[in-house]
Amino acid sequence: MSDGAELVRGVGLVKRFGGIVANDAVDLVVAEGDLVGLIGPNGSGKTTLINVLTGHLEPDGGEVRVRGRRVSGRPPHVYAGMGVARTFQLTQLFGRMTVLENMLVPGLTRPHSRWDEVARRARGYLEFLNLAHLEQLQARNLSGGQQKLLELGRCLMLEPAVLFLDEPFAGVHPRLREELVARIRELHRGGRTFVVVDHDMESILRISRRLVVMARGSKIADGDPAAVRADQTVLAAYAGL
Amino acid sequence: MSWDYLFVQAANGAVIGVIYALIAVGVTLIFSILKIVNFAHGDLYMLGGYCAYYVIEYLGVPPLLAMVVAMAALFVGAIVLERLMLTPLYSDATERKDEYGLIVTFGLAYFLRNSAVIAFGPFPLKPPSFIPGVQRLGNLIVTNDRLVAAGVGIVLIAALLYFMKRTIWGQALDAVSQSRDSAAIVGINARRFNSFAFGIGAALAAAAGALVAPIFSLAPDMGVLPNIHAYVIVILGGMGSVSGSIIAGLLLGESENLFTAFFPDPTRAFAYTNAFGVLVLMVVLVFRPQGLFGRRHLRME
Amino acid sequence: MRGLPVYVLLVVAALALVGADRLNAYWMHVAIIGMYYGILAASWSLLAGYVGLFSLSHTAFASIGGYTSALLVKWLGIPVLLGMGAGIVMCGVLGGAIGWVCLRMSGPYLAIFTLAFSEIVRITISTEDDVTAGMAGLHTAPLFQSATRLPYFYAAFALLAASLLLMGLLVRSRWGLFLRAIREDEQAASASGVAVARFRILAFAIASAFAGLAGGFYAHYIGIMTPGVGDLDEMAKLVVMTVIGGMERLPTAVGGAFVVEALLEVLRSYGQWRLPLFGVLLLLTMRFARNGLLTPLWLQLVRLGDTRVGPLAAARDVPQKDSAA
Repeated sequence: MSDGAELVRGVGLVKRFGGIVANDAVDLVVAEGDLVGLIGPNGSGKTTLINVLTGHLEPDGGEVRVRGRRVSGRPPHVYAGMGVARTFQLTQLFGRMTVLENMLVPGLTRPHSRWDEVARRARGYLEFLNLAHLEQLQARNLSGGQQKLLELGRCLMLEPAVLFLDEPFAGVHPRLREELVARIRELHRGGRTFVVVDHDMESILRISRRLVVMARGSKIADGDPAAVRADQTVLAAYAGL
Repeated sequence: MSWDYLFVQAANGAVIGVIYALIAVGVTLIFSILKIVNFAHGDLYMLGGYCAYYVIEYLGVPPLLAMVVAMAALFVGAIVLERLMLTPLYSDATERKDEYGLIVTFGLAYFLRNSAVIAFGPFPLKPPSFIPGVQRLGNLIVTNDRLVAAGVGIVLIAALLYFMKRTIWGQALDAVSQSRDSAAIVGINARRFNSFAFGIGAALAAAAGALVAPIFSLAPDMGVLPNIHAYVIVILGGMGSVSGSIIAGLLLGESENLFTAFFPDPTRAFAYTNAFGVLVLMVVLVFRPQGLFGRRHLRME
Repeated sequence: MRGLPVYVLLVVAALALVGADRLNAYWMHVAIIGMYYGILAASWSLLAGYVGLFSLSHTAFASIGGYTSALLVKWLGIPVLLGMGAGIVMCGVLGGAIGWVCLRMSGPYLAIFTLAFSEIVRITISTEDDVTAGMAGLHTAPLFQSATRLPYFYAAFALLAASLLLMGLLVRSRWGLFLRAIREDEQAASASGVAVARFRILAFAIASAFAGLAGGFYAHYIGIMTPGVGDLDEMAKLVVMTVIGGMERLPTAVGGAFVVEALLEVLRSYGQWRLPLFGVLLLLTMRFARNGLLTPLWLQLVRLGDTRVGPLAAARDVPQKDSAA
């Protein structure tokens, strides 16, 4: 666990869909410098938790605080403005806009941003993600892996404090997956905080500094990856569904 | 205002309600299979009415038989239209299918409405009655045509329910509405059901058009408002539920006619009756912005 | 020659202005009406093409703008220009309100809702005949005291040019980028920090205000307002114009309006047949040339102007100036 300042805190988060309780009083604190792997069986409520923590779903109970300020109930762009970025389980790009335009959108939403400065920054990140040569291509024409990279890049344009990545490795070619892992590590070293959900346990375990395990809508373990892996309840949750 | 007048309005409301339900069931069927809101549905209804009219006029066929002919003609005609215009909806190569379905059915409505002005003339036409005369029940007077319209409408809806629940084709249609892919896996040709659903929906609309023709007479733009009313019913009627549509259809027909009865200024009552259903639609949409058909498949309870 | 398309448009505009007094009264009328539809088509493409909000109440707003202006001029005796201004404000506010009410609707639901709204407008205007003169038509004060249509031609031209300039600046600004992002994916746009609700309302307000401008001009040009100005057939005509031209670009949308309006006149001898004919043309366009018939021409023009090749050309889509934010 990191000792950095608290960035995002979910307190007693409850989210129901009809009769199903997707999140059942979940507490989670994400602090500066964290690299959290969020895992759990299918349907354990991981994506719901991310949606609640980034403002895309309103919790039925509990609240979300960003840097100590209560923000639950506000629209997602407020979260984005406070440095909370996210990607989506199924990549959601602006398909009929160019790669560069995809990057410009979040950059230009920042107050006092200037077009030439944002474009320069966007090109810098595209360089970093190996997408620079594609900047005039429409985003929908990229390969699946490139789309994941672009979505990451779009998040970075917000200069976020914390990034929630929902299944960044799903359906990505192994070579690009390596690249993605390397980029996440590099960004983390540069001071960014990550929460990563994925089923690719190998990649998750390689990068995580902290592991949070969800099962049936509740958080059942949270801590050092080695300790969590040895935890009997976690093993039971995975084995005995 | 007398009680008699209220009763007459209530009876008229029930008849119109059945007609609305008949149109709405078709909209529901088409939506659940093709996943589009058919903006041209009211115009299929209009065509059905004219078709029946000309069959009666030129072939001297009895009105009820003419209705069946109109249904058959619209069934075939709608399938031709669907094959010509809507097949891109089933191709993965087509982008923004919502937009495509919307503009194409809207364009189709424009085409059909204006073709009707040329083909049938702008002036209202009235076919002969199904059964001339009226029925009296105390002071309550209802024309036979309204009784026939309601009766036949109910029979058609019942037939559809039976078809969906008890026949293999109906079951297959239901399967396609729930999951195209699963239906394909068990060997159902989903494409054929697109045509079939569109045809059935059109045939029901045609029946509705033929049934109201002797009551309200025919005009090229007669489909516009019933089309809007069909949306009200589909939303109110519980999202793809056929029986819900029937109840909602009756409710809308009743409340509209009672609205007319209670509207303080009788000279404007009729005009605002139309606005009333439209206003209901707007209000309902505000509270169910995308919940219209919520679950995107049919329910046959 | 990066600005080639702009220069071409300027040349065409200059020719139109110089040649205007040679047009006979009939074709001048056609040109004026064409420009009325041009403003409507451009502002509708802003809404439907750029933001993806397929509103069917656009001509209803033109009607509201026209009636607002005509009635205020009649009742209060204010100058026509002031009345038109009031019509624009009215439509902007009402459009923003409609945009707000249908924030959570998309695609066909938004279309149904706006269709319902325009029907209510039409029914109300037809029924409240002691105010609006109903189907008989409301006589309006003329914008110019002039024996010829020439002043109207220049006025329509100026309004269209100004509208296109403003809308062009808007779509090239960061706001334009946000609007397109909303069209592509609302959820991703909000995750990227775009205040989706604000921009959807804004788009509705701006587009409706332009419709109000067009309607106000139309009212004081044509001399009589009827409920038909905002009816479903007018809306369908606007959809035909915009989609046939190409709904995702302002110049193609306006071009579509001109072409269809001109064709409607050329084919006048076919009478009623023209309307279903254009219905068929719309259907064929959707089926086989989804992006509009004028879009390839426009893109060719842009390409011709773009003489730079290789990596330099890649920079062309990043405007250097930021005009709206």
